[in-house]
Amino acid sequence: MKLHEISKSFGPVKANSNINLTVDRGEILGLLGENGAGKTTLMNILTGLYKPDSGKILIDNQLREFHNPREANKNGVGMVHQHFMLVPVFSVTENIILGEEPTKRFNKIDLENAKNKVLKISSEYKLDVDPDQIIEKLPVGIQQRVEIIKILFRDAEILIFDEPTAVLTPQEVVEFFEIIKNLKKTGKAIIFITHKLHEVLEICDRINVLRRGKIVGEEYPKKTDKKKLAELMVGRTVNLRTSRKKMEQGEVLLEVNGLSILSDNKEYVLSNVDLKLHKNEILGIAGVQGNGQTELVEALTGLRSVSSGKISYFGKEYKNFSPRKIHQLGVRHIPEDRQKQGLIGEFSLTENSILNTYYEEEFSYNITLNWTNAKIEAKKIIEKFDVRTNSENISANKLSGGNQQKLLIGREMSRSINLLIASQPTRGVDVGSIEYIHNQIVFARNKGIGVILNSTELEEIIALSDRIIVLFEGKVIAEFPSDTDPNIIGLAMAGEN
Amino acid sequence: MYFKKFLKISSGAFAGVLLMTINSANAFTACQVTDVGGVDDKSFNQTAWKGVQDAVAKHGIDSKLLESKSETDYEPHLNSMVNAGCDVIIAVGFLMGEATKNAAEANKDSKFTIIDFAYDPTVPNILGQVFATDQAAFLAGYVSAGVSKTGIVGTFGGINIPPVTGFMDGFAWGVKHYNKVKGKNVQVLGWDPDAKEGLFTNNFDSTDDGKAFAQNLYDEGADIVMPVAGPVGLGSASLADELGSDKLKIIGVDGDWTQTDPARKSVYLTSVLKKMDVTVLSVIESVKSGSYSGGVTVGTLENGGVGIAPYHDLSSEVSSELASEVEALRKGIISGSIVMNK
Amino acid sequence: MKIFNYFGNYFSNRETFQEIIVIPVFATLLAIFLGLLLLIVSGSSNEIALKALIALFYGSFGSISSISETLTAATPLIFAALGIAVGFKAGLFNIGAEGQIILGGMAAVIIGFSFQLPFFIHLILILLVGALFGALYAFISGWLKATTGAHEVITTIMLNLIAYRLLDFFLRIPSIQKEGRNDPISKSILDTAELPRILYFLDPNLRVHMGFLIAIFAVLIVYWLIFYTTIGYEFRAVGKNLEASRYSGISPSMTIILAMSIAGLLAGLAGASQIAGVLGRATPGFSAGIGFDAIAVALLGRAHPIGVLFAGILFGALIAGGRQMQVSADVSLDLITVIQALIIIFIAAPVLIRKLFPWIFR
Repeated sequence: MKLHEISKSFGPVKANSNINLTVDRGEILGLLGENGAGKTTLMNILTGLYKPDSGKILIDNQLREFHNPREANKNGVGMVHQHFMLVPVFSVTENIILGEEPTKRFNKIDLENAKNKVLKISSEYKLDVDPDQIIEKLPVGIQQRVEIIKILFRDAEILIFDEPTAVLTPQEVVEFFEIIKNLKKTGKAIIFITHKLHEVLEICDRINVLRRGKIVGEEYPKKTDKKKLAELMVGRTVNLRTSRKKMEQGEVLLEVNGLSILSDNKEYVLSNVDLKLHKNEILGIAGVQGNGQTELVEALTGLRSVSSGKISYFGKEYKNFSPRKIHQLGVRHIPEDRQKQGLIGEFSLTENSILNTYYEEEFSYNITLNWTNAKIEAKKIIEKFDVRTNSENISANKLSGGNQQKLLIGREMSRSINLLIASQPTRGVDVGSIEYIHNQIVFARNKGIGVILNSTELEEIIALSDRIIVLFEGKVIAEFPSDTDPNIIGLAMAGEN
Repeated sequence: MYFKKFLKISSGAFAGVLLMTINSANAFTACQVTDVGGVDDKSFNQTAWKGVQDAVAKHGIDSKLLESKSETDYEPHLNSMVNAGCDVIIAVGFLMGEATKNAAEANKDSKFTIIDFAYDPTVPNILGQVFATDQAAFLAGYVSAGVSKTGIVGTFGGINIPPVTGFMDGFAWGVKHYNKVKGKNVQVLGWDPDAKEGLFTNNFDSTDDGKAFAQNLYDEGADIVMPVAGPVGLGSASLADELGSDKLKIIGVDGDWTQTDPARKSVYLTSVLKKMDVTVLSVIESVKSGSYSGGVTVGTLENGGVGIAPYHDLSSEVSSELASEVEALRKGIISGSIVMNK
Repeated sequence: MKIFNYFGNYFSNRETFQEIIVIPVFATLLAIFLGLLLLIVSGSSNEIALKALIALFYGSFGSISSISETLTAATPLIFAALGIAVGFKAGLFNIGAEGQIILGGMAAVIIGFSFQLPFFIHLILILLVGALFGALYAFISGWLKATTGAHEVITTIMLNLIAYRLLDFFLRIPSIQKEGRNDPISKSILDTAELPRILYFLDPNLRVHMGFLIAIFAVLIVYWLIFYTTIGYEFRAVGKNLEASRYSGISPSMTIILAMSIAGLLAGLAGASQIAGVLGRATPGFSAGIGFDAIAVALLGRAHPIGVLFAGILFGALIAGGRQMQVSADVSLDLITVIQALIIIFIAAPVLIRKLFPWIFR
């Protein structure tokens, strides 16, 4: 498959300009790029969602044009999206045939035949999926395999994976790489989109780096390294490893004893959690998503009521306190989902800058808001935290993910702060911004602030934390010092102690 | 002051130019403002409008119509008609009484007539048209009592206002008279003429209510029902149509419902006629000839302003004795030998 | 200057301008055009359609008395639609303006005939009490939503039905019912409680009353409330992103209750101003569907106070113009209902307007 001189513009923005790209059968091509580099646009062109302004798509040396994803499918192009497109209450087979239901007479769906085909694909590529299982009962890794079968079912020859490892545990990642290698052996062409450098080095045969809508480099894993790739991606020198000098633990800032939380359906999502956070310390909470981290953070920030246990800030116990009260203690919270919790997309940057301080004297007099001060605050955050925007009046959802996150972090860290609870601070953020955000977190810790870092990226946890605890099924099952072998932590995350 | 004058002149001139293009109001114009039931209610709005149309056909005059969607429309609608330069404005319905009076007092040059409202004291530029519908309903009540097999008849109204309850009074009195003469005990459901209480739908437009109320009365044993709520009664008629006229008969009001609703004419025993079309036509003629004066005109059995319709399809149900008794009653009421409320 | 800066924040913005002014204007023009087309298709002559069009404009803006009628009809719509807009901002769909109008109007009537008070005080009292009762009635829905999660669409619809029956009931209480009448109609309010007609000096028959000026004042107040106060900030935060507002320390329950109550307060004012400015008494149908038309007005005004003001005047114009249309072109008032419905369809599908008139959005 060959892409020739593909260009696509949105208004004045050139999302893709003159992109040439080839991928052969039996090859894994890594496509590396920051958020907003044009990866998604390019893939949307490949799968028929967008029409390119100019350029050609050749498959087996034949000119092709797709007007919609279905046509792309028919031509053997299939994509596994970052967010799975599965119906949770349907079975594996039902999900796979969705949209292309094979029928018997009288339009009855031919489930039997479909199931056999699923089984056949599953064994051929060693995917090991039970076609009768209901999706919502399957772990994320298996769900991803269902997505893979879905496109193989439609006879895809070119498989595109968009950030496939973002949702997987380290063990699942290993298994996933095996699957990709199997696919490669059978002669499929694979495009692997990611911004994780070590992954492309490990699995890809060839790497194309995309920056500002252009291919800026082609590398081979054997002849390159992370640093070089990162520089290509960002366009400048990047310090990948945040330098972090050792510091003595200070006094205890936060103490949690026997914290348990019952979920709405009467299951313990968190049971008997103990933890301590000190001054000058970054405590990493590792774990595969959905093992109680979200609930823990929500409990600590007052967003979720606690079933039993004690939470003490600065030596004083707080019982079912409000988020505002905790905020007033100088506890800042970077929520895990910036679009759902941390920012209001339709609000302007100015309005977002005062989201949890709007009621304070600086920004309001009685009930009248002081927009002048709010604007000053917004400008301060924008400048200090390097938020790339041309005005503080545009709405937050017009910013890229990285800039949204910088705005959010800036808001939380620019005012007096004693303790920082950061959830997934770099999720969906480009490499350049990750570096910046990591530096800010370490900087805060060096100033004497305690940080709780909740991240599903093990790499991030290891890079930043002074101490690491692992949450599994709502329990703290292990605690490690920062220089532990990632594989051991990975095993703990999978529940093996 | 100058400003005021300027406004009047300039707006007047502007209005004049525009009005010339949109109003060809040079001929004699009769204008009607209907109540909320709408002009096609097969009942009193429609009957009154028929009077206007008869005048159009007979004398070649112009007509205008405004349908009220709610009670808040009365006042602006009447004002619009005044501004449109109407020669006579016909307000249909008791509920417009106040609004019509206000409009008439603010526009002393315009001539109004209102159906179902009599002012006391009278207003010089309003002619109130009221109808002694109790006289006609008395006859209908008497017939019903004679025809009913279950010995129970029923009625219900739209709103508890005199033009509605007049029908119900007469109906109940007619039944009572029958009981007295024949020594029977036919019951009337839905209206107590002494306590002035009874069944009301509180609207003049829901045919669903008409059906539900008739169903209730039927369930209580009534086999003849007189709905006095304009088009609401059509819902009652549709129930009678489903059940069959042997189970339930309907008595129409205002117009002859076998004519306005021919599809279901087999369910109508008779209709209590309130000949607004005739009186409206005569008011228009009086304005045209210059003999109009404010006050009150009353439609009675004697002057033909009210009456009952022929029995049409159900005439076989009415024995010839009963029919002649009714005819005798009619004469008795006119002559005054029969006092209804006794 | 400062104010202008603030204002620029929200309105000089090209997109906001398109949202609030351009799309509604074109939606309206398109709806009127299609309405007239419908007229011709259904057998009327071109001449009648033209007459109807002229009558529509003449009857709404063509003379002092038309303008007066337009504004009279617009007044309660603006009040109630402002309330609905406040609800929209807080993510609430208040279908209950009708019921709130009834409660507010009913309370206003009772205040209006039962107290002998000096002119200005009586007027203030009738409006305040009307607003209060509207607010209390809406509070029920807000409270139910905040404490039990009951959806406000359901509860407000139900409360509307209850309000109709309450009105029927109240109008039959002897101390409220007009003397000498058997039908449900209240006593009339005293002259001291009436909103004075503001163009009385030109012609006593011009009905536009002080309520319209109060409505404009309310527009400004609501504008200030929504965009320049912490309360409005909380409303908008809860409306746009409930999770984020919880995160920021806002109590969604309190915000919902407050937003709903303010919505009811404005609807109650609509009822009170209708009683004190136009009707003078209550009858079973006095609310006249204003609460439902106001939903359309709020949608047309894109839930923006300034937008609501113009949308309210536009709907008032359709009502006044429609009357003229029936009088002079003999076209049924139902056409106005069709045009109103079409406007809402086009507003609900702004993409359609953008597609049809691409040149205005360049």
